[in-house]
Amino acid sequence: MKHTLYWLQCGGCGGDTWSLFNARSPDLAECIDLLDIELLWHPSISVMGLTELRDLNSALITGKKPLNILCIEGSVIRGPAGTGMFDEADGRPKKDLVAALAHQADYILAVGTCASYGGIGADREIEATGLHFHKWKQGGFLGESFSSKKGLPVINLPGCPCHCDVVIGTLSMLLSGAEIELNAFGMPLEWYGMMVHQGCTRNEYHEYRVEEKQFGEKGCMFFYLGCHGPLVNGPCNKILWNGRSSKTRVGVPCFGCTRPDFPQQYPFFETRNIEGIPIDLPDGVSRAHYLAYKGMAAAAAPKRLKKRKTGI
Amino acid sequence: MSAKTVCVVPFNRVEGDLKVRLDIEEGRVTDARCSGIMYRGFENILKGRGPLDGLVITPRICGICSTSHLSAAAKALDSIFGAEVPDNGLRIRNITGMAEMIQNDTRHSFLLFMADFTHPHFRKHPLYEEAQRRYTPMKGSDAVQTVRESRRILEIIALLGGQWPHSSFMVPGGVVTVPSPNDISQCRFMVRHYRRWYERQVLGCAIERWREIQSRKDLDDWLEERPEHQKSAVGFFLRFSEAAKLEEQGRGDGRFISFGGFDMPRETGVKSFGNKDQFLGAGFLADGITASLDQEKIVEDLSHCWFENSGPITQHPFSGETRPYATGSESDRYSWAKAPRYDGHPAECGPLAQLAVAGDPLMGDLAETIGSTLFTRVLARLARTAILLPALEGWLQELADGEGESFHNYDPVNEGEGFGLVEAPRGALGHWVKIRDKKIQTYQIITPTAWNASPRDQKEVRGPIEASLVNTTIENPDDPFEAGLVIRSFDPCLVCTVHAIET
Repeated sequence: MKHTLYWLQCGGCGGDTWSLFNARSPDLAECIDLLDIELLWHPSISVMGLTELRDLNSALITGKKPLNILCIEGSVIRGPAGTGMFDEADGRPKKDLVAALAHQADYILAVGTCASYGGIGADREIEATGLHFHKWKQGGFLGESFSSKKGLPVINLPGCPCHCDVVIGTLSMLLSGAEIELNAFGMPLEWYGMMVHQGCTRNEYHEYRVEEKQFGEKGCMFFYLGCHGPLVNGPCNKILWNGRSSKTRVGVPCFGCTRPDFPQQYPFFETRNIEGIPIDLPDGVSRAHYLAYKGMAAAAAPKRLKKRKTGI
Repeated sequence: MSAKTVCVVPFNRVEGDLKVRLDIEEGRVTDARCSGIMYRGFENILKGRGPLDGLVITPRICGICSTSHLSAAAKALDSIFGAEVPDNGLRIRNITGMAEMIQNDTRHSFLLFMADFTHPHFRKHPLYEEAQRRYTPMKGSDAVQTVRESRRILEIIALLGGQWPHSSFMVPGGVVTVPSPNDISQCRFMVRHYRRWYERQVLGCAIERWREIQSRKDLDDWLEERPEHQKSAVGFFLRFSEAAKLEEQGRGDGRFISFGGFDMPRETGVKSFGNKDQFLGAGFLADGITASLDQEKIVEDLSHCWFENSGPITQHPFSGETRPYATGSESDRYSWAKAPRYDGHPAECGPLAQLAVAGDPLMGDLAETIGSTLFTRVLARLARTAILLPALEGWLQELADGEGESFHNYDPVNEGEGFGLVEAPRGALGHWVKIRDKKIQTYQIITPTAWNASPRDQKEVRGPIEASLVNTTIENPDDPFEAGLVIRSFDPCLVCTVHAIET
C-alpha cells in the first residue's frame, strides 16, 4: 500500500517547498515514485477542487483515511489574542486544522525553522510558535506530552529553508523503518550532528585567526562579521546548497538559521565581542583556553594566508 | 429577479493564502473581493533591528523570490549609505535576479498554472488528453522536466551567492562574492544547458527566431510555420487557449506599472530596451501612453484592509504604518493587503506589464490589440525568458572577460532614508526604509501581489484581480474553477502579505 502524505503550509514563505524542488538525486518526482508515496495534498501542486479537499480533510480528521506522514511548513500562527485568525483556512483558524491532522498522523515532520521552533514570528504580534517546541523550550503548539500515532515526537528539520536532501532523507529513513536518532531539540543527528563550520572552505583561515572586517574578502567571518558557523548545527557545508556551494563558502556569514531562537534579536553581520574575542564561543570551548589558542594561532599564521593567496 | 449566489473560496496553487468572495448571477461573476488571509507582520518585526538586517529578514518574506527582496533591500541601503556599486557587482545582481525570474516563470507556468488544464473541467476539450500527458502534477512529461530543469538555473545563484532560496550575498556597495573563473564557466554551462531545453521544449525554435515575432499576425504565422512550434509548450498553450477561448478571459482594465528591471553597468555590450539606466525601463502605462515612473505618486489606501491608521486614509510608504487589528469579515474591511495606488489608480504588474512598459514589440502589440487578459499574461510569462537569457549570457561573458571588483566599501551612516525598487518575478516590488540611531525606524514593503490582489480603495475602485474576475462565466458556483484560472494567470503570491500578502 502506498504511504499517504499531506503537506500543510502555515505561517511561512513557501521556501521549504521551493527548496525541496532543488533536489537532484532523487529529485522530487522520483522521490514520490520510488518511496511509493501517495501525495494527498500539497497546496502548490494539487489540482483537487475545494469540495474534494473538504472531503479529504474530513476523511483524514475522522480517521476514515489513514494519514502516514504529515509535513508542516511554517509556524503555527496563534494571533491575534490566541484566535489564530491572522492565518485562516476556509473560514477557520488554520491552527485548528493543524491540531486535527496532527492527532491522526503516524509521523510528523516540522519542515523548516518556523514549523520547528516558531522562527520569524515567534514572540511577535502574530504569536507564532513551533509544533512541538517554542524556541528552546519543548511544548510549542502541540504540548510537551504530545506524540504522534507511532509514538514519536515531532521530527524537527530546521533551516531557513530546510535543505531538500534533509527532507527526502528523513522520509526515506522513516518509510524504510530505520531508527532516527534525535538531539535534545528534536533534530535528527544524521544532519544536525555537525556544525555548519565543518566543511567550510574558509576553515584554514579560521584555524590561524585570519579574520575579515570587510565584505568581499577570502578570510574567516567568525570574529567580526557575525558568522555563526562554529556555533550552530547543520549540514550546509557537507551536503552543499543546490549541489554547489554554501553561504559561508562565497563570503556570506552563517546567520544560524537552524537555531531554535533564529532570528537572533541582535544585529546580523556583526559579532558581539569582548576585547575583540567573540562572546559566543564554539560549543563546549573554555574561554581561557580559546584565548590562548587563538593568540598562538594568529602568531603562527603563514604569510600565504595573511596575504589571502590561496585559490579558495 | 435573478438568483444571486455569493461564494467565498480559498484558492491554492498561489503562493500563500488567497480567499475570494464572488457574487455570481446567472452564471457570471458580477462582483469580486480578494482577501489576503494571512498576516505575518514583517514590517513590524524589522522595526528596531540593525541597519543591515533587512538583507537577512526580508528574503524570508517569500520562498520563491527571496533574491528579489534581497535586491530591493540592498538597493534601499545603497541609497541610504550613498554606496556605489561597481559594474561587476551590478552584473552579479542582475544575473542572479534573472536566474530567479526564469525559475519562477518556468515553475509557475508548468507546475502551478498549466496543472489546471488537467482538471476534469476541461474533459471535453479536444486537447485534454495531451494536457494530462504533459501537466499532470509530478507525473506529466512537461511537469517532470520542469522539476529537473528549473533547479539547474538556480545553481547559478548558488555559485554566485551561496544558496537559493534565502541567501544574503547582496550588500550595500555590491555583492560579497568574488567568483573564480571556473565558477563563471560553470554558470555558463548551466545557462547553455537551460537555453537548449528552453528552445527545444518551451519555444520549439531558437530564441532569435522567436524574437522576430512582433505582432499577433506574426505569432499566428509562427504557429503554422513548423510542427516543432505547435508541439512546443508555447505552441500547446496557443492551441489550447484557442479551443478553450481563453483569449478574452480575465480582462483587466489595462493600466500597468513596472519598476523596470536590472540596472545597466556603466560599460556593457548588453543592449537595453532603449533605457540607458535599466535593461527594461520602468514606467506607468495607461491609455496607450507610457509615463516615466515617479515613486512619490505611490500611496497605500487603507480604507478596506484590516489596518488602523491615525493619519490620512492614503499614505506614501515613507509615512506608512502597519497596525493590524481584526474586525469581522462582514465589514467594509476584508483583507490583510493594503491597496497600493499609483497616481490615484490601481495598476497591474507582472511579466506582461514589465514587457509592455519596457517597449517589447510583441508584448506591446498584444497589450494594445488584445489587452490584459489571462492569455496575454500567461504568454508574457512563457516568453520572458527569451528576453532575459541573452542578456544574462552577455553579462556572464563580461564577468569572465573583465577583472574588476564586485564590491566597494561604503561609510555607514547612523541616520537616513532610502528606497529600493526592483522588478520581482511577479512585478513591482519596493522597500522603503528609514534608519535612525543605527536602527531601522520604519520598513515598508509593497509587493507585486499587493498591487494585483489589492482590495478596493476609498473610491470603491476594485483592485486588478477583482476587476478581472468580473464577467467571468462560472459553471458550478460550488467550485468556481474558472475564477481560479483567472486568478492564477496573475501568479499571485500571498506569502508576501507582509502587511498582508506575499509577492
